[in-house]
Amino acid sequence: MKTKMDFPTINQRRPDGMKENGKPYRVLIVDDSMFVTKQIEQYLTSEGFDVAATAVNGQDGLDKYKELYPNVDLVTMDITMPVMDGVTALEKIIEFDKDAKIIMISALGKQDLVKKSLLLGAKNYIVKPLDRKRVLERVLMTLKK
Amino acid sequence: MRVEYINPFVEAAFNVLREVLNVEIKRGELYLKSVSQPVLGVTSIVGLAGDVEGRVLFDMAESTALAIASQMNGEKLASFDDLAKATITELANMITAQAITKLHDLGFQFDLTPPAIFTGDNMQVTDTEIEALIVPIEMKFGKIEINVAIREKN
Ligand SMILES: [Mg+2]
Repeated sequence: MKTKMDFPTINQRRPDGMKENGKPYRVLIVDDSMFVTKQIEQYLTSEGFDVAATAVNGQDGLDKYKELYPNVDLVTMDITMPVMDGVTALEKIIEFDKDAKIIMISALGKQDLVKKSLLLGAKNYIVKPLDRKRVLERVLMTLKK
Repeated sequence: MRVEYINPFVEAAFNVLREVLNVEIKRGELYLKSVSQPVLGVTSIVGLAGDVEGRVLFDMAESTALAIASQMNGEKLASFDDLAKATITELANMITAQAITKLHDLGFQFDLTPPAIFTGDNMQVTDTEIEALIVPIEMKFGKIEINVAIREKN
C-alpha cells in the first residue's frame, strides 16, 4: 500500500508570492470596485502573496501606502476612481517613495495615459478585463525589476 | 450625434462581454430613443467628458444583472447585493473605457467618470436635448440595452 509520502505534492515549488526568506510579498490593492479587488486578491493569495491592505480610491491608497511603508512590496493601482484618480495617487506615492513598485491596472488603454503613467514612475500597466495568468506574470516581472 | 461615436461602443461591448462572460452575444438593430425613457430595472451609468459631454447607460433586468454578475464572479450570487452591483458597474466601466480607448485612436479626446448604479422599478431617465442611440445586445442571460447619448460642446 502506498503511503502518503509516495505522492509528490503539487506545492513542492516555492509559490511565486513568497520571497526567498519564506515570507510573502506584501501587496496593496487600490480599486474603487469591490469586484476587481476581490478578483486581484484571489489571484494573488492563490500564489501565496499577502494582500496587506485594500483601498477604494487614490487618496485612500496614498494613506494606506504611508501606513504600511516600508512593509509593502507592490501596489496595484486603478485609474478611474472617485475622490482621487490613480494617476494622481501614483504621482504622490512616488513623491513619498521614489522606489515604490506600482502597477497600473485600468480599463483605459489610451497610449498617452500608458506613457504618462510610465513616465511618472509606474513599473507596469495592465488593461482590464483581467486574466489571472497575465496579472501574475506582470506582478512577478515588476517585483524583479 | 456623430455615427463615428457609436461603433466603438458596439465593438467594445462585444469584446468585453465575450471575454468576461464566455457566451454567445447577438446584436439587435440600433435605434433612436426620445427624451424620456423607462429603464429595465438595473441601470449603470458612466459619464463622458472631454471634447464632448454625455453619458452611457447600461440597462438590464435585475435577473439578467444577477446572472451576469454570477458568471463574472465564478459563483452563483443569491441576491443582487453589493458585490453584484460592483460587478455590473465595473462591466459598464470596462466597456466604456475600451470604447474611449478606440475613440482616442481615432483622434477624439474623451474622458470618463467613475460609474454609478441605480436599481428599482418604474425608473425613468430624462435627458434634456440629447438624443440617445440604443445598442440592444442579446445573450442567454437576457438583454442589455446600451444607451449612448453624446453631444459636442460648443
Ligand atoms: Mg475604477
